Amino acid sequence: MKTLIIIPAYNEEKCIKKVVDNVMEVNNNVDVLVVNDGSKDDTLIEAKKTKAKVLNLPFNLGIGGAVQAGYLYAYKNNYDVAIQLDGDGQHNPKYIEEMVNIIKENKAEMVIGSRFIEETGYNQTFARMFGIRIIRVIMKIFTGKKIFDPTSGYRAVNKRIIKKFSENYPYDYPEPDTNMRLLKEKVQIMEIPVEMHNRETGKSSITPLKSIYYMIKVTLAMLICVIEKRKG
Amino acid sequence: MIYIISIIAAVLFMLFIIFLVRNKKLNEKYSILWLIFGIMIILLAINYKLLDVVAVKIGIYYAPALLFLTGFIFLIIYTVHLSIVATKQNKDIIRLNQEIAIINEKLENKD
Repeated sequence: MKTLIIIPAYNEEKCIKKVVDNVMEVNNNVDVLVVNDGSKDDTLIEAKKTKAKVLNLPFNLGIGGAVQAGYLYAYKNNYDVAIQLDGDGQHNPKYIEEMVNIIKENKAEMVIGSRFIEETGYNQTFARMFGIRIIRVIMKIFTGKKIFDPTSGYRAVNKRIIKKFSENYPYDYPEPDTNMRLLKEKVQIMEIPVEMHNRETGKSSITPLKSIYYMIKVTLAMLICVIEKRKG
Repeated sequence: MIYIISIIAAVLFMLFIIFLVRNKKLNEKYSILWLIFGIMIILLAINYKLLDVVAVKIGIYYAPALLFLTGFIFLIIYTVHLSIVATKQNKDIIRLNQEIAIINEKLENKD
């Protein structure tokens, strides 16, 4: 199975090399693609020091556009599995093999690395947990399915979903939105428990002030999924 | 008096739009809506008796207000139209950005 690990990176010069090296150390038959999303620091140079392939976006697109560039690359280069993983070292690469196996055995078309199936020692603030609960409830109401960690950016998908994502992907806060859309289309999604590190360097893209906007945007996006016209 | 001013303003406005199109500062596609807008205002101003009748019928007691209302509704529609154009352009730009990145990666690997 031709597997691509997509690592979006925006201003991650301090840890991108470490993240890539970690991924490659644990998994030797995967390709790694760093998508440098118009970083203002030396992320590009640091990424090129590794053995990873590097996509250098001419200007910043935001997380959705960057990850989609990765899916487009995966689609054009005929990959069977694509896994996205954050560039800040939050996601432990030791789960990649398990995710690939689930896709390989056709148990699911998407695998989400989830922080909440088991107690995994990831510190959650009350506000964040509350937001995630709201997202879960909305998903449950409209699709009848529960995803424990609908905001996780650690996910694996098969070839069919790679194509879907390369055609259409939200530009900001893409995870809850895409999960909802796939659930609506009856795509089989599986969650596996993963241990997540609290981030080592850099800041979360979601500051307290932005979190209200985040919830409004995400809720709206999920409701739009409900009424959206089906394409194809 | 307000009707005469409206007609003069609308004619000047349409001339300005035509001037912009001639100088390639404005796409013909976007000029059409503006020209229709101008013609609409002129027609309404010329037929001000009609305007009066319609205004009273729909409960507007100051007829020129109907003129303003028409213009206002048109502006809202046009602004939404521009948002749609901006959305499409944004989408296209993002796709171009991604394609350029992918082509660059290919080129660099060839060297």
